[in-house]
Amino acid sequence: MNVELTDVTRRFGRTQAVAGVTLETGAGVFGLLGPNGAGKTTLLRMMATVIPPNTGRLRLLGRDPGGYGPRREIRRRLGYLPQSLGYYPGFTVAEFVEYFALLKEIPPDRVPQSVATAIERVDLGSRAKAKLRTLSGGMLRRVGIAQAIVNEPELLLLDEPTAGLDPEQRVAFRALLRQLGERATVVVSTHLVEDVGAACSEVTLMDAGKIVFHGTPDELTARGQGPGAVGDAPMERGYSAVLTAARAGSGSASAVA
Amino acid sequence: MTAATSAPARPRAPRAARVVPLSAWRLLRVELRRNAMPWILPLIAALFWFDSYRPSIQTEPLYVIRTFWNLGQGGTIIDFGPFVAAVAAWMGSRDGRRRLADLVTATPRPRWTAQLATWAATAIWAVAAYLVFVGVMFAMYARQGVGGAPPWWWVAVGVTGVIAFSAAGFAVGVFWPSRFAAPVAAFGSALILLMSSRTGFTHTSGWAMILPTNSNGNFQNDSGISYPWLPDLPIARIMFLAGIAAAVLGVTGLPARAGGPGLRRAAAVIAVAGLALAGTATGLASSARLTAHGMAIPGLHDAASDAPIAYTPVCGHAAGVPVCLNPAYGRWLPAITGALAPELAEVAGLPGAPARATQVATGYTGGPVAPPGPPVATGAAGPPQALTLTGQPAVLRLSLGMLNMPGPCGFCDGPVNGTQFAGQVRLMFAHAFVGAGSAPGSPAQRAVQAALLRGAGIPFAAQPLVMGHTDNFPGAPRSKSATGPIYAAARRFAALPATARHAWLAAHLAALRAGQLTLKDLP
Repeated sequence: MNVELTDVTRRFGRTQAVAGVTLETGAGVFGLLGPNGAGKTTLLRMMATVIPPNTGRLRLLGRDPGGYGPRREIRRRLGYLPQSLGYYPGFTVAEFVEYFALLKEIPPDRVPQSVATAIERVDLGSRAKAKLRTLSGGMLRRVGIAQAIVNEPELLLLDEPTAGLDPEQRVAFRALLRQLGERATVVVSTHLVEDVGAACSEVTLMDAGKIVFHGTPDELTARGQGPGAVGDAPMERGYSAVLTAARAGSGSASAVA
Repeated sequence: MTAATSAPARPRAPRAARVVPLSAWRLLRVELRRNAMPWILPLIAALFWFDSYRPSIQTEPLYVIRTFWNLGQGGTIIDFGPFVAAVAAWMGSRDGRRRLADLVTATPRPRWTAQLATWAATAIWAVAAYLVFVGVMFAMYARQGVGGAPPWWWVAVGVTGVIAFSAAGFAVGVFWPSRFAAPVAAFGSALILLMSSRTGFTHTSGWAMILPTNSNGNFQNDSGISYPWLPDLPIARIMFLAGIAAAVLGVTGLPARAGGPGLRRAAAVIAVAGLALAGTATGLASSARLTAHGMAIPGLHDAASDAPIAYTPVCGHAAGVPVCLNPAYGRWLPAITGALAPELAEVAGLPGAPARATQVATGYTGGPVAPPGPPVATGAAGPPQALTLTGQPAVLRLSLGMLNMPGPCGFCDGPVNGTQFAGQVRLMFAHAFVGAGSAPGSPAQRAVQAALLRGAGIPFAAQPLVMGHTDNFPGAPRSKSATGPIYAAARRFAALPATARHAWLAAHLAALRAGQLTLKDLP
């Protein structure tokens, strides 16, 4: 397993952001769905070793991130795109990706090639020398994805990766996700259920810090036949039905594998 | 959530030892390219020109004088410090301001080492700019024929000061990642420098000697001309500023997010070592004492630093008497020979007349540095004199470091013109010739002094003014009018034919110098 979480909790003051999450993942693309405040970002930040859990056990890529040495090894194999990605406006696209390649301790002789490859994979090759301040929001998101994949991560954590991308870019990005998921664990947190349907082999739905559904996209879609389903697309109806059932206290745990 | 498959761990090439420095260099290169410091350099350059260079060229063309304000009193550090601290704080707060803290935290490189690369790039720009600005200033001085040796040790203090301010500002940014970190760092630095300057003006010894804005005992005499710039105090200040820099940079490596336990331990050691270094330097500076060559610190002093600077003098003649100066003062040789010539002509052939005139070093403890042999007459205790007669045959010793030379002065009311300078030189020569030494002199000595000045072209009526304008002159009159019994005797003596005056001096000079004559003894 590349990701093993056992009864993980995380609290910020009086707010329980993650309340006893247990899950395991291997290679593949996993969708993490949920409404605002469900705990998706906090869960990703813990998986990115940015913050530790308050309680519970966390193992990533077979290592315990509680120790400094293992944590560093995990980070070498990790790609992370935060929800709110900042940038250095004076850096060019290539410099920004190179900077993170160096922070990820890619051997210097491999850096230029890795940077070029990552930039090409997000289709920014023609803008490699453009300053970040000159790019659109969607392009900046792609730069963020490029830095996340520059080290060919074994664990890739993407928080709202398609926010700001136009439909054409989203289609290309889903293809990239599927390709990356062939050999790495890719966790995608998103509000957009169509991304999950198109790119993910499995999906987890969170609400109020807990997992209320885990299964395949088809299984989530099937839930749309039940009561409480609203939405235009089949998976949207499944999403709303699961949330309605969970909030009514009747349909969560049974769905979790 | 169940796993689709379990990804096998990919084998990775072992990291070669050389990879780390190479990687650090590439990181530094990126930081150097995109550092904010170059944007502020034009502003610093303008301030440097206005505050450090422009006032200096209103002073005598000697390094020891020209650099008194900009290096001695820390003007260049004052110009750089607040801006460097502000930019460093801006860079230190960058990841927080740009919402990149999570992303950089999730990378394997210890946060502290990445931050040090950012700081190093900032400091490199600042130090390079400091060296370029000071280098250009010195090049301008060289073109202007400024005499003496540049105070390189004090340049090193300035460089370390820039590093310390960059480190302190960076730490502010790291611990307070806000857009307000930069102005707060600038204001704080300016406040520290202001307080440091005020303390430096009033404290001539003790702990305050460590402050880089304290010039007491290190500038304005013959450092770099007759003897080397003493490195003692600069070394202590470099230790102090480097210690401060190490301490604050070490502190930025202490938080848990900075890196692993080993790195954080190293950061703690660096912080403690920096504090120890700064404390040691302050202790050393407190033990500084003023010597003829400047501030010496017993724990750091090297006797080799006291060796005089060898030079080939530039020489001319005044009334046939050779006059030799340090080449740093060469530009003023005509003014000095011109000033001395009338009086030397008047006393030529007398038993006590100088056979030659030579420049001697001016020391920080006041007056010429260790004049060999006793002076012709010492008189009562008083301020040291710039012109003294010593030895047999007599040698006129010129301690020019005590004088304001002709031309721009900077520390005077205005430029010193040739007539003022000649008047002062002639007064001091006459004073030395009659043997008054450091005292006002006996009435007879003062009368002969007045007569000699009159013979050298300074009317009696103008003499009180010349005396009043001559620094350290011990016989300044209470009245501005040339009246009274002394001037009556002087007028009587001056009215004698030159041969008669000469004959009387030949017969009575020894007694006059010994203070044995009264006004009634004058013809």
